[in-house]
Amino acid sequence: MLARAIEEAGLPTSAIVLIKEQAERVKPPRALFVPFPFGFALGKPGDSEFQHRVLAAALDLFKSESAPVLAAFPEDADGPVRLIQASAARVDVSTHIDIEPADEVTALRGYYERWVEDHDGRTGVGISGVPHRQWRGLMKYLYAFAHGEETTYAEMPEGITELRFLKLVADDLKSFYMEARMCQRPEQQDNDLQSWFWAETAAGTMLAKIAARLDASDDQTTKRAAFGIAR
Amino acid sequence: MPRLEDLTEVARQGHLNFPAFEHTDAPFSQLTKPLTEVKLALVTTAGLQVRGDTPFSNNDQSFRVIPANTPARDIIQSHTSIGFDRSAFMRDVNISFPVDRLHELVERGVIGSLSENFYSFMGALRNPKQIEKETGPEVARRLIAEGVDAVFLTPT
Repeated sequence: MLARAIEEAGLPTSAIVLIKEQAERVKPPRALFVPFPFGFALGKPGDSEFQHRVLAAALDLFKSESAPVLAAFPEDADGPVRLIQASAARVDVSTHIDIEPADEVTALRGYYERWVEDHDGRTGVGISGVPHRQWRGLMKYLYAFAHGEETTYAEMPEGITELRFLKLVADDLKSFYMEARMCQRPEQQDNDLQSWFWAETAAGTMLAKIAARLDASDDQTTKRAAFGIAR
Repeated sequence: MPRLEDLTEVARQGHLNFPAFEHTDAPFSQLTKPLTEVKLALVTTAGLQVRGDTPFSNNDQSFRVIPANTPARDIIQSHTSIGFDRSAFMRDVNISFPVDRLHELVERGVIGSLSENFYSFMGALRNPKQIEKETGPEVARRLIAEGVDAVFLTPT
């Protein structure tokens, strides 16, 4: 769709597509279908030769003298097929870890910081704008919110609503926990990471409770925000 | 995979019924020079942004500019969803935004050069009319103004 808009303006495009059935309907001018999971467009993280083979196949489509062209990349890559939602991961409510996660965050900080150091400073944490070393106060606020208290976070960035802030903070928390966990257990895949986060951490329980509180609201905007948090 | 037969029934139906704009043909622009002389741009729908830029929100059809020389550590993803595995991107930016690979292709002489700026949109939009009519063409105009010859697009 975006490829069509750019091509229409006069620029040749080549696009990687993950759903062949959709590409057949939308008809981007030149598309390479790859049989990889969502989130794995180039196939294998950390495998530059494999990624180069995907790129070469996509760039090869620029030779075509008509459109649409839909080619298929011949190699498979391993990856998770089914992801886990918060609701599916927590099978036993008695295992809820209903404590304030500030200490948990502190305990994971070493792993998280090592992950960042090992990845040349790269981290997915940072969209809420609150540095992780200032999360103690943030956890207090989130925990109180999760437990139905009337509460506010004094250092909330200006110009965004509380619902938006909750969503960004939830994403930052998930990124922090996943990166810390990948440092602890490098072999773990997304399913393992999600199961661990939602079923075995205090932060996972807290976010599930925040989502439950939002979901219980009569206000539709608030209700919808719940969906973005516990998944 | 996502070969649809590998997904859960709910996910499969979701994708099959995802509102797509059906077309019977495609626009076509011929690449008029060899790849070795082409200035290539990268455009993604993975919801990426430079750290500190405004995160994408729901149904956000605007775009973010990512200068081609942005270090990988300063590129973050604000598109999050149960629908895909974020750990791959956390491990390697190139999995959906192959900046290092493209720079290597320039070094190897496979492609001529890269554009000054790359562009990023949010993915999985149910009704991307604004991208089709406004923001997509706007990015195309900017790319043409930057002297770009061809565009490579990657999904989430």
